[in-house]
Amino acid sequence: MMRFFQWLHRWVSLIIVIQVLLWLVSGFYFSLNGHHGMSGHQYLEHGDHAMLSEVAPTVDVADIRQRYPDAKTIRLHSIAGIPQFIVTSVDDTHYLNGLTGAVWTTSPELATTIAMSTYNGPGDVQEVSAIQGSDEILNWDDAGYQVNLEDDLNTRIYIDAASGQMLNHRNTPWTLADWAFRLHFMDYSGGRSFNHLLIWSAGLLALWFSLSGLILLINNFAKGDMNPRRKPTMLEHLQREQKPVASSCGGGGTCGLCKVTLEGDDLPAPTPAEKILLSESEIEGGLRLSCQHRVDDKYSIKLPDHDAATVTLELATRRLLSPSIVELTFNSSEAVSYQAGQFMQFCIPHREQVLTRHYSMATSPDPHRFVFTVRQMPSPSEKIPPGIGSTYLCGMEKGATIEAIGPFGDFILSENSQRTQLFIGGGAGIAPLRALLQTELSRSQPRSCVFFYGARHVNELCYRNEFTGVDQLEYIPVISEPKENQGWKGATGFVHEEVEAWIRNQDVNQLDVYVCGPPPMLKATMAMLAEAGVPRDQIRFDDFGI
Amino acid sequence: MPQQQRTSRWRVWHRWLSVIFGVQMVIWSISGAYMVFFDLDFIHGDHLVQDITTVVPPDADVQPVSAVIQNYPHSQTVTLDTRWINQQLHSVYIAEGHHGTELLDATSLAPIELSEEHIVELANRYYAKGEPKVSSVVYLTENPPTELNPKLLPIWQVNYDDFGNTSLYLSPETGEMLVKRHTFWRGFDFFWMTHIMDYEDRTDIESWWLQAFMIGTFILMITGVVLLVYTISFRRKRPGGAE
Ligand SMILES: Cc1cc2nc3c(=O)[nH]c(=O)nc-3n(C[C@H](O)[C@H](O)[C@H](O)COP(=O)(O)OP(=O)(O)OC[C@H]3O[C@@H](n4cnc5c(N)ncnc54)[C@H](O)[C@@H]3O)c2cc1C
Ligand code: FES
Repeated sequence: MMRFFQWLHRWVSLIIVIQVLLWLVSGFYFSLNGHHGMSGHQYLEHGDHAMLSEVAPTVDVADIRQRYPDAKTIRLHSIAGIPQFIVTSVDDTHYLNGLTGAVWTTSPELATTIAMSTYNGPGDVQEVSAIQGSDEILNWDDAGYQVNLEDDLNTRIYIDAASGQMLNHRNTPWTLADWAFRLHFMDYSGGRSFNHLLIWSAGLLALWFSLSGLILLINNFAKGDMNPRRKPTMLEHLQREQKPVASSCGGGGTCGLCKVTLEGDDLPAPTPAEKILLSESEIEGGLRLSCQHRVDDKYSIKLPDHDAATVTLELATRRLLSPSIVELTFNSSEAVSYQAGQFMQFCIPHREQVLTRHYSMATSPDPHRFVFTVRQMPSPSEKIPPGIGSTYLCGMEKGATIEAIGPFGDFILSENSQRTQLFIGGGAGIAPLRALLQTELSRSQPRSCVFFYGARHVNELCYRNEFTGVDQLEYIPVISEPKENQGWKGATGFVHEEVEAWIRNQDVNQLDVYVCGPPPMLKATMAMLAEAGVPRDQIRFDDFGI
Repeated sequence: MPQQQRTSRWRVWHRWLSVIFGVQMVIWSISGAYMVFFDLDFIHGDHLVQDITTVVPPDADVQPVSAVIQNYPHSQTVTLDTRWINQQLHSVYIAEGHHGTELLDATSLAPIELSEEHIVELANRYYAKGEPKVSSVVYLTENPPTELNPKLLPIWQVNYDDFGNTSLYLSPETGEMLVKRHTFWRGFDFFWMTHIMDYEDRTDIESWWLQAFMIGTFILMITGVVLLVYTISFRRKRPGGAE
């Protein structure tokens, strides 16, 4: 719903923005000048009419009633000292000279006199022209005069010939204001009407635009986005405090690396992201994603990887495992104790920034030795550079050093169970799985292990020899593109399909499953496991996001 | 990432500015929409009243205009007109000048005083919305309602019990209807007040706060345009990408 309002607000603003600007600018012009500044009446004099006893009309209403028997009102007043009758009859208005009784006429000279009697500015008459209507006087298209004055405002006075009436004063500020009115009312004819289709549409759009903005604003308030004293998320807080916490999605709730355990009575309800990334029993046990909740005094935060520290790693060897995967071995002068399946967060220098990238250890733990398998991320297209982190690491010289923080992660071997250990992997997912397998198989009494590993080509089956012919381990490599692999006698297809066939003959409650691989494979495998009925708490997975 | 950070700073500004100026923008668009959507002639109440002038009866015995001028030598305008008084059509003169305004019987030139009943009778003739139902009649001499220009005092206010709560204002001297008001005019006036932000007299369009709000809204608009440019160009770089 809020998405819709956001969309509405954005697109309507795109349409209406220019008109809103025009409304603002013209409105500002009105405000700067005020009613008087825009009226054209700067030099208007409200002249006093002469007393009728002084102008001495010679014609009487009786004569006029005879001539106009349908007169409704007969009005006597004076113009420039001359008496005038205005006769309003049923369907017309007549102007008569009060001295002669003849129909009123206005000569250019009289027009000038009338004009000047309404003018108190400094200018002299510059020009008097006979005209028929004017753009500057709305709804007037009769005969008359335009009297131009030579003053600073370029004043023009309009006189109607039939009545001798001064119609209005116009000047330069009036002309500018008139343009402002055209823009404000969107009536470009100069009619100053604000009841027409164009401005109705603009008004409706402006209304939608501002109301959608208001709704979004109210929503922001309701969500607490506008509270300046709002607490940061736990992830932000931990990062600010330089506590070891991993994140590869920047707090987006998609990577699932920022796990913490909360302790307290009233734990926050899990968010949708947590329901996807955490299992029910983990949530039950107080596990949360630290990017999903704000700091609160009600509960304390326990970091799962509180031993994590910054270490400097020195590159010892580099070797190509497969066309796309490089094995890097680092030495650490400091002893770091880590568990199989965990990963380190690398600080990759990139231009002026430091980027974080995560890589899993690929051997059973050795406090001074770290082995990683890094997949070289190719450029998806010419314009886009290859992966920053992987390119940097694979390009390191022997003896070069890099900083890393860790260890992190809970993708580790299960304890206290005698179930069969099922490993499912693909591509770069080999690293943590190999570490787990090495550790399990080196125990005095290893549990029985099954390892499905998928690749496109035979030459991408990393560490194939290491896994073949080992007691306690059933190794099933699966090739997805057999046509290019003449002579392959093993399983073909997608790895999760192979597992699906195998799992049918298994007791799913007697399996501990470990999954790591490219996102599509991970997704398909998780769906397949759920379908097969493997309890969610017996499945562990690591999502590399690649 | 850096780009997102930059937009978020603009967004914070956009939000906070909108708390103050955006709310006025909502008021401007609502009041503007009201003024635009109701026809101005309707707002003016042209439909509330009718023309009640009638032809001066040909047989009326009317004194010459010079007699009026003689009696009221300071007159600047003298008008021969008609008035319905006590269900009868009278020819009248109206003399206006420095002395004020006088309503005179055209035959006798005797001044006519309009009583409350006369005013109501005239008002009902003006009234064009069917059977007139007068709810109250008030002679206003001071403290005019906001809908009336104080210069017009004293004046008769005749209120009708109808849809729109029509009020007609008649001159106590001539009985002429000078002002007409109804609910939609009052609504227009209210929205005009909010539009120009003069909450007292509803006339001042030059106040500093009105100007300040316009400048503020302008800045709000600039931040909005920046956000618009960012969001639209950002989208294009990542087709189908996540937010
Ligand atoms: C817990 C964890 C463990 C991990 N363990 C390993 C591991 O053991 N081995 C391993 O290899 N990886 C591992 N990863 C993944 C690793 O952290 C990196 O995500 C991966 O190496 C890619 O990073 P990068 O900097 O090379 O690529 P990035 O620069 O992040 O780019 C990723 C991909 O997107 C492409 N791309 C970049 N910009 C654009 C654009 N504008 N439009 C379209 N595409 C674009 C790049 O070319 C590249 O293919 C792990 C990740 C996690 C979270
Ligand atoms: S930071 Fe990625 S899910 Fe929390």
